[in-house]
Amino acid sequence: MKYLRWLVIIPYFCLATLPLCWLFLTSLKTQEAAISPTASLIPSTAENTAPGSLSFSATLDAYRKLATPHTGKAHAFFHYLFNSVIIGLLSTLTSVVLGTGCAYGFSRFRIAGARDWLFFILSTRFLPPLAVVVPVLMMYRVFNLPNTHLGLILLYTAFNLSLAVWLMKGFIDEIPRAYEEAALVDGYSPLQAFYKIILPHSATGMAVTAVFCLISAWNEYGFALALNNAEAVTVPVYFAGLQGNIQGIPWPKIAAGVLIFVVPIAIFTVLVRNHLLRGVTFGTIKQ
Amino acid sequence: MRVKDGVLKYGFVGPALIFLIAFNIFPLFYNIYLSFTDAELSGGVTQLIGGRNYGVIFDDTRYGTALRTTGLFVVLAVATELILGFALALALQKPFWGKPAITTILLVPMMLSPAVMGLYWNFILNGHYGVVNQALSVFRLFQPQWLTDPDLKLFSILMIDIWMWTPFMMLIALAGLNAIPNHLYEAAAIDRASRWTVFRRITLPLCSPLLFLAILLRTTDALKQFDLVMAVTGPNDRATQTLSALLYQVMFRGYKIGLGSSYSIVILLIVIALATIFIRYIASIQAKQGRETA
Repeated sequence: MKYLRWLVIIPYFCLATLPLCWLFLTSLKTQEAAISPTASLIPSTAENTAPGSLSFSATLDAYRKLATPHTGKAHAFFHYLFNSVIIGLLSTLTSVVLGTGCAYGFSRFRIAGARDWLFFILSTRFLPPLAVVVPVLMMYRVFNLPNTHLGLILLYTAFNLSLAVWLMKGFIDEIPRAYEEAALVDGYSPLQAFYKIILPHSATGMAVTAVFCLISAWNEYGFALALNNAEAVTVPVYFAGLQGNIQGIPWPKIAAGVLIFVVPIAIFTVLVRNHLLRGVTFGTIKQ
Repeated sequence: MRVKDGVLKYGFVGPALIFLIAFNIFPLFYNIYLSFTDAELSGGVTQLIGGRNYGVIFDDTRYGTALRTTGLFVVLAVATELILGFALALALQKPFWGKPAITTILLVPMMLSPAVMGLYWNFILNGHYGVVNQALSVFRLFQPQWLTDPDLKLFSILMIDIWMWTPFMMLIALAGLNAIPNHLYEAAAIDRASRWTVFRRITLPLCSPLLFLAILLRTTDALKQFDLVMAVTGPNDRATQTLSALLYQVMFRGYKIGLGSSYSIVILLIVIALATIFIRYIASIQAKQGRETA
């Protein structure tokens, strides 16, 4: 039984991680080495390596080249990365602020039809982007919002609100009511109790919620593709758009860009590892 | 405490609700309206044309194909991910050295962007210089054209999806396994139950509520499959055109948003039905939890 376990884990572990290791190795190669018909596996510091050998000369060229645009593209990778950062951070901020307030309201006050409202909020997460994006686009045209950062920030805020409300409600429900009641007895107003008791006690929850909102916004593709074709193009739209579009795709450069794009997410995943279950089940399952 | 609550509580919940109604309820109903018009993406005069768009669906062979492709994709992806994820969870059930680190590393792929990783998988699966085919050539095995062979394209997308989402099933299955009280296993050991009996009578039944939840979540997600299709083949490939890809093709490449809206109604109905089941299920779990804590 003991060995059977490793018989499952080791092969899957390799399958899961090898593509990511390969990503890193590719980002250190030259274009010739990356698309050579014999794959080289070992980075070496030697200037020249024999063709067909298992080692290749490692270079940081791909990372340097990221600053120059692809032929036929208006901007370099960092321009799109900057769009992703701005849109991700601001939409996360607004969804966590609105979501925390909403979760507190549902957690502590008697609200008519609270259950129905909460389930309505949850249901919004399930709508397929492509099936609702056209009306959003028409609405945006009235306000001149297509192709703007603000447009995507607003849309991602709405998209992430359901997650933020449900996660935050889970966290706030865990804070004992006695804390606030004691504060009220001490003469705090309900609003003060919220600021001085609830907010500090739900700091971890807000951080975890923020990470999940940021990751969804960071990775989102459908909405971003449909609403933007010039400005405010995010990294997923930029990368997926390269499929079939440019001749002789410069893979080391792409690999370097992909790596820069996914490393923060991998780090965040490790940071919130104990809350992943909550995050993917909208806070309905707690460990 | 309840004196000024009236104003205060709506101040807390109001903004979020207004946001959600503006971005979800309004588009939903506007979509239904659009599906009865001949609206074009480029603007211009829009006319109500009754149910003509819905008539076109039955003439458009792409639609039936897209439905079949999506259905096939959902069933194969969810089933494979469930079996693999559950097997992994069983292997990771008991504590051992390095378990937390291994579990965390295994979870990373599901947090990454499908669109970005999809593009990168083009490189791994490339027929000429892709590392998968090079590995196959070392063992003198047949090297399939993963990305250009019409019979294999959908399978390639499926593999990438399985790579990304098996950890999701593993995560939820692990939570189910951890929640099984140890005394049940001890009792089974006293009764000298076989391993298979323990699995069938204790592990599987006690895990199944969470597995069901995982299946529902993954199914609604897989039904929307779009990102990987776009990054691997583009939206207009007959072999891989899922419903979302067809919607994109009709609305944003063909500019027919009235027609596209009518196409989207069916996927909306399926997703709403699944979401309703999910929500009922969550409600029943919460009611049970409430009873237990009370």
